Amino acid sequence: MQSDATGHQRFRLAALIDDRPEEGIFRVNRALFRDAALFDLEMRYVFEGGWVFVGMATQAENPHDFFTANIGRVPVIVSRDGEGQLHCFINACPHKGVRLVQRQCGQARRHVCPYHSWTFDSAGANRGIKWEKRGCYGQGFAGEDHNLARVARFGEYRSFLFASLNADVPSLDDHLGEARKLIDLVVDKSPEGVELVPGRVRFTYAANWKMQLENCSDQYHFTSTHPSYIRILSERALEETSQVVTASLSNADFWKEDADGVTGGTYSFEHGHVLNWGLMGVSAALPEYERADALAEELGVARRNWIFNMRNLTLFPNLQIAENASSQLRMIRPIAPDLTEMQTWCIAPRGESARARALRIRQYEDFFNPTGMATPDDTVCYEEAQTGMAQQANGWLQGHARGLAASVEGGNDFSDALDMKPARSVLADAQLCDESLFRTYYRAWAQRMAAVLS
Amino acid sequence: MSGQAAEFAELLAREALLLDRGAFQEWLELYTPDCLFWMPAWRDDGTQTDDPDRELSLIYYRGRRNLEDRIRRVQSGLSVASSVMPRVSHMIGNVLVEEADAARARIASVFNVHVHDVRTGRAHVFFGRYEHEFVRIEGRWMIAGKIIRLMNDTIPTLLDIYSI
Repeated sequence: MQSDATGHQRFRLAALIDDRPEEGIFRVNRALFRDAALFDLEMRYVFEGGWVFVGMATQAENPHDFFTANIGRVPVIVSRDGEGQLHCFINACPHKGVRLVQRQCGQARRHVCPYHSWTFDSAGANRGIKWEKRGCYGQGFAGEDHNLARVARFGEYRSFLFASLNADVPSLDDHLGEARKLIDLVVDKSPEGVELVPGRVRFTYAANWKMQLENCSDQYHFTSTHPSYIRILSERALEETSQVVTASLSNADFWKEDADGVTGGTYSFEHGHVLNWGLMGVSAALPEYERADALAEELGVARRNWIFNMRNLTLFPNLQIAENASSQLRMIRPIAPDLTEMQTWCIAPRGESARARALRIRQYEDFFNPTGMATPDDTVCYEEAQTGMAQQANGWLQGHARGLAASVEGGNDFSDALDMKPARSVLADAQLCDESLFRTYYRAWAQRMAAVLS
Repeated sequence: MSGQAAEFAELLAREALLLDRGAFQEWLELYTPDCLFWMPAWRDDGTQTDDPDRELSLIYYRGRRNLEDRIRRVQSGLSVASSVMPRVSHMIGNVLVEEADAARARIASVFNVHVHDVRTGRAHVFFGRYEHEFVRIEGRWMIAGKIIRLMNDTIPTLLDIYSI
């Protein structure tokens, strides 16, 4: 590490990520999870330097609805104006920089700064500077922009909202690319689209944000980290009682070591997005089952079948949609090299029956909540990794190597069924548990960090 | 405190003691087979979810069978989150009898649970309100319902049923 003329600390990429595809090597250095200087640069270049997910359009459904979020360290407001147009502003008054809106969500035609009463409308326009005429401002003041600062780029794809503080980024459609077809699978479950079930669950864990990034795409850990949950699933499956919830994963083979043949795989896309997936079958254990026939008619059998598959989708760097034991939307917010905040919701098709919704919620709580029976075993492992990675002498991890010899360019029959063209793919049996898809994260990470890597 | 409030305060203290001691089988025996065990989530800054079939809860079970699952997982030796058990201490106060007759009682109280996470050496506290529903079965008060209204819902890593 050294400082250049711009004052940036420069890191040597080859000392952080050892990417030699021709030699079958991909390694990540522990420094990526622990180095404080690197973390500050990540905030600036990964999170504040490109597209990130900020929320769902359904969180501000009606005129003057708003919600607050963060882009890296920067607080933002997403607001729907009186004409129904969505905007994304920096959540800070231009006067003294005070955070304008403190609430998580709400409805307001006017936002009044609590400090000196500068006032803004739901489109971000300044509607009042207190005692402006008697303020004896210097002549330059009138020439300044007193409105709320807009983020450089803001866009929506099928009610998923993304923003960038950096204007020099590809269009949102280019950024999402072929991964849009996987968002479609989430949205197309209902002609009415998706919504977040009321009730946000927030938790922190004392480890780096990339532990969560990887874990969502890590099929390898499931039977090792969650045997206590798996045992309960198998016990419940044998019982004839309405007291316990039916588990969607019980009938699936993709995680069972003795399953034969292809059980799933991974897809990698441009700009860091990945999917890992497993075959699940059109089962009554899933709340989607009530629309199984309707979905086949609306979308075709192939897409319908994909909707029933286990799918863990990451849209780099901070959005994950996990469709396995139930359906979850996660927002990753790094706070420090060794502290991460997770905001999580149950994401569900609009208009599903009361019975299906209740089943989805019950399946969700037991698996996904930090108060449930699975996620705590993940987050404790992240923390143990953070502790164990204090050893820096040989910094190279061995956790990104499975599947390197199975990874091929382009897609396969399963992606063809979605007319989807991934950059790379792995077709897997139950024991392959691809880790080569992690390369997609770190290559996108290196692209966003290019200005401070040499 | 009225005689009745004192009686229920003792029952709440008994439940707390069993959790603090890790006497989970005895703790389960306080509950009716069809009990409600519910910790709502927060809908926004100021309101909690209140329809568990349409809105998310942090924990929602109908039936002691589910609490037995939770205990079985904690004691299975297969959960890394439970392998080094946190030490907990429940403080319960402001016990009020909201409604009571010979067969049924609704009791409000507040709780502070101090948690020392032995694995990491960190300590934190969970606090909020309880709403217990007791029913009298064969001369003994049992818990037919417990609602846990958690006030500090930014959860550090995990929260299990022994720490609320």
